[in-house]
Amino acid sequence: MWRDALLVAGKDLRIEARSRVGLWQVLPFAFLVLILLAFAIGPDDAPLRHAAPGIFWIAVLFSTVLAIQRSVAIESGEGTRDGLRLSGIDPAGIFLGKAASIGLQLAVLQIVLWAGVTFLFDVRVHVVWLAITASVLATVGLSCAGVLYGALSAGLSVRDTLLPLLVLPVLAPVLLAGTKAWQAALAGNASAGTEWLRLLIPFSLIYLVVGIVLYGPLQESA
Amino acid sequence: MSATLAPQSSSTESVRTSTPRWLSVIGILGVIAMAFTVWLGLWITPPDVTQGNLARLLYIHPPIATVALYWAGGVAALASLLYLWPRTRSFFWDRLAASAVEVGAVFSALTLVTGSLWGRPAWGTWWTWDARLTSTALLLLLEIGYMALRRVPAEPAIRARRCAVAALLVAIDVPIVHFSVNWWNTLHQGGTFLDPGFKLHAHGSMLWTFLLGFIAFTLIFVWLLGMRYRIEVLQDHVGDQELEVTLAERWHEGDELAPVGAGPVGVDSDDGGAA
Amino acid sequence: MNYVVAGYVVALATLFVYALTLVWRRRRWSRAFDVVRANEVTVGGDVQGHGTPPVSSGRP
Repeated sequence: MWRDALLVAGKDLRIEARSRVGLWQVLPFAFLVLILLAFAIGPDDAPLRHAAPGIFWIAVLFSTVLAIQRSVAIESGEGTRDGLRLSGIDPAGIFLGKAASIGLQLAVLQIVLWAGVTFLFDVRVHVVWLAITASVLATVGLSCAGVLYGALSAGLSVRDTLLPLLVLPVLAPVLLAGTKAWQAALAGNASAGTEWLRLLIPFSLIYLVVGIVLYGPLQESA
Repeated sequence: MSATLAPQSSSTESVRTSTPRWLSVIGILGVIAMAFTVWLGLWITPPDVTQGNLARLLYIHPPIATVALYWAGGVAALASLLYLWPRTRSFFWDRLAASAVEVGAVFSALTLVTGSLWGRPAWGTWWTWDARLTSTALLLLLEIGYMALRRVPAEPAIRARRCAVAALLVAIDVPIVHFSVNWWNTLHQGGTFLDPGFKLHAHGSMLWTFLLGFIAFTLIFVWLLGMRYRIEVLQDHVGDQELEVTLAERWHEGDELAPVGAGPVGVDSDDGGAA
Repeated sequence: MNYVVAGYVVALATLFVYALTLVWRRRRWSRAFDVVRANEVTVGGDVQGHGTPPVSSGRP
């Protein structure tokens, strides 16, 4: 399973490296969300500084939806999915591989986006380990849930409108916990932040396990 | 869909791959002008009465912004219009517009960075959400969007028309940036040296350095534009032959290893070189 | 003054690096273009290249 996961992850990442969709479309989109939210919340610095973690995570969430759609679209060509199933690659491995690929892209996105937020909203992280841990856990959850729901909606003609509708409510806990944890990290309040990590850990674990178990059957029924 | 007269691509014989002389000259002049601007700006000119040494950034920030906004934006918009107009339609304008947008994006980003470096000591913050900075950031994002659109594979004529329209939409932001300091109450000042009536206010060596900065960055812009245009032309002519190019490169991977006339041995080493 | 120097350095370095990438890209596409042109000459317009390898492209 692990070797298959590596294989699939490598394939997806290589496709991304060649096509650079993430770089040219997802990343600018994330910054666009930042700027639009800045428009909405107003030109005063204080509300923006307060809202910065929330803005960051909303941008990450919307970008995740884009990344998932892209990941699903890679295999939407004629017979590609069937070919993948017939190739004998362990479906759990496919799941892990795709999740790893998205996770890596999201991680890079978050790093760049965070630099942008620091610059644009004039904030600074004081409890770095808290912020990083929250991000890592959240990324695991986002990627696993994302790939799972991507598989759920794949092959449907209403895929593009259905996927956000399905996956965003599921990702809401990540938004909540991530925002609170980062707020605590910005304020320097570590103990308040660790409360929220306790929400992120089970969430990510559940979606990791559920994904490994359900991805195969999901592919069969697609 | 209206019947569009697709412009004819020139045949491969007429495509030159070397840099034209006039472009190289401009490049060299640009570098010289830049060197003098830096020398004058950082050493010879006196510190400003109010801003001190910080004013030295004003020898590069407004020129960079001018290039990004008026030269790049103007060329992109004009070239797009000329492409869309049937009588002047030619891939030359399409490629010129695409080049202008990319070079413009680089200068837009530099505008924000140099402005930020000025703003940090002057206003106490790296960034503020006032109208001029926000509309300039928007310009950069619009330009990146254009570049993403350009990379979507399509028939040259279709892509050209699509991108021309996109470029005009990008250009709408240009007057917004320009007038932002007048329409809204911004932190960013109105023209230090120029007001909307285009009158100059600086004096002495500062004025000359300022003008020299404009000339230097304009020359550099032209050179970058020319180089980028050349790449666009070459890319279009290689176009859908990219697969053949890659195949040819694979065939020749063994060339340096096997001597000519080595026969079957030479063929084998070719296969060995293939990834 | 540090901010000023940083500004000059960033601006000049960025433009310099961008110029270098343009030069590099032009070289790369020039080479590709030479191959295409060689294909057209030797294979007589049939650039599917079935079976016959084209004449050496003269790549450095």
